[in-house]
Amino acid sequence: MLTVNLKKHFSDNRKSEFQLDVSFSVGNGFTVLTGASGSGKTTTLRLIAGILTPDEGIIKADSQTFYDSSQKINLPIQERRIGFVFQDYALFPHLNAEQNIAYGVKANNRESRDEKAREMLSLFHIEHISRRLPREISGGEQQRVALARALASSPSIVLLDEPLSAVDVETRAELLDEIENAQRQADIPFIYVTHNETEAARLGKYRIRLQNGRVII
Amino acid sequence: MIWESLKLSLLVVSVATVIVGVIGLALAFLLAKREFRGKELLDAVLTMPLVLPPTVTGYYLIVLLGRRGIVGSYVYDLTGWTIAFTWQGAVIAAVVVALPLMIKASRASIESVNPSYEIASYTLGKSEFETFFRVTLPLAKRGIYAGLVLSFARALGEFGATLMIAGNIPGVTQTMPLAIYEAVAAGDERQAQILALILTMISISAVYLTNKISRSRIYG
Repeated sequence: MLTVNLKKHFSDNRKSEFQLDVSFSVGNGFTVLTGASGSGKTTTLRLIAGILTPDEGIIKADSQTFYDSSQKINLPIQERRIGFVFQDYALFPHLNAEQNIAYGVKANNRESRDEKAREMLSLFHIEHISRRLPREISGGEQQRVALARALASSPSIVLLDEPLSAVDVETRAELLDEIENAQRQADIPFIYVTHNETEAARLGKYRIRLQNGRVII
Repeated sequence: MIWESLKLSLLVVSVATVIVGVIGLALAFLLAKREFRGKELLDAVLTMPLVLPPTVTGYYLIVLLGRRGIVGSYVYDLTGWTIAFTWQGAVIAAVVVALPLMIKASRASIESVNPSYEIASYTLGKSEFETFFRVTLPLAKRGIYAGLVLSFARALGEFGATLMIAGNIPGVTQTMPLAIYEAVAAGDERQAQILALILTMISISAVYLTNKISRSRIYG
């Protein structure tokens, strides 16, 4: 269960102003966050993850408080246990697929870390590219590595920021299945940001729509 | 004279390059990643030796570290030792003049690393320190290597500041550039030619190496 109630004001030298004021809570399922570009979807994810800090409000995951302005709590990104899948994947260019996945694994020794990484490689059917660098694999494969890396760190929530915007239609359908599958296995909240209505309709058991920084559904 | 000055130059330059590498990287990190008051002023002060005549830099070193210097006088009172006219003095001179090159090259390189890799590392639970060593540094390594090679070459060619703080004592502080000066002054053309040739070869290799590093394949 993730509860979000936050406000953040952005201004760019008085040229443009933007007020984000969102409030929602989601359970251990799939939530799709939609809205036109500029409606505040990515900003909302970044605030939940701790990449940005709200002006005021509360972010709680189960019993853990990520952020609470009234109590002056602001948990660092590292302690929020968020699996974040970035739009451009942000795979470490100097590490191969397996090293990327193993990077965030919390394990006491090398063996169990590598084992976890191999387990994720097999879950996403990408064992054959384990030794390749991100620039040597396709967009779909990069996406799988990014997802595997986010899940390998045993997160309590997964946030996906338009993860399929850079892959072709065919691969997209395949990956959507895999993402849904991964959510069922992990049984934790997944928040999936997209501006693609077909994608939203297909995934959206629970949908939140943003417009100009506010929740409208 | 050739062998002695070559040996001394290599000693001074090696020690100086290690010191420049460590201090330069720490300062580059500070300047690239931290916001604090007086940051740009610190950058300007650290860059000074790049634009000041080396004799001026050397003069400040004497004012600071000489036997009657601001810091040097305390050291002398406590230990009876002064860095002036020692090979360690030559190392200090080399460090101060080479440091700006290391800082400039590494800072630019660290700043050019896409911050989304660092953010990704934080979301995966890694501290800023660990992220720096495992993500930022490997991705910025070309600029850092280039900074090291340039610093090495600059330290090797150091003349003015070395002369001011360490003097020109054969076998003690007479590095190759100083030995060339003395050979020419004494009319020993042959010595000067050999020394100049050795220095030129080392410098050309350094520049060649730097170019090779900056053209090597980029990740991503």
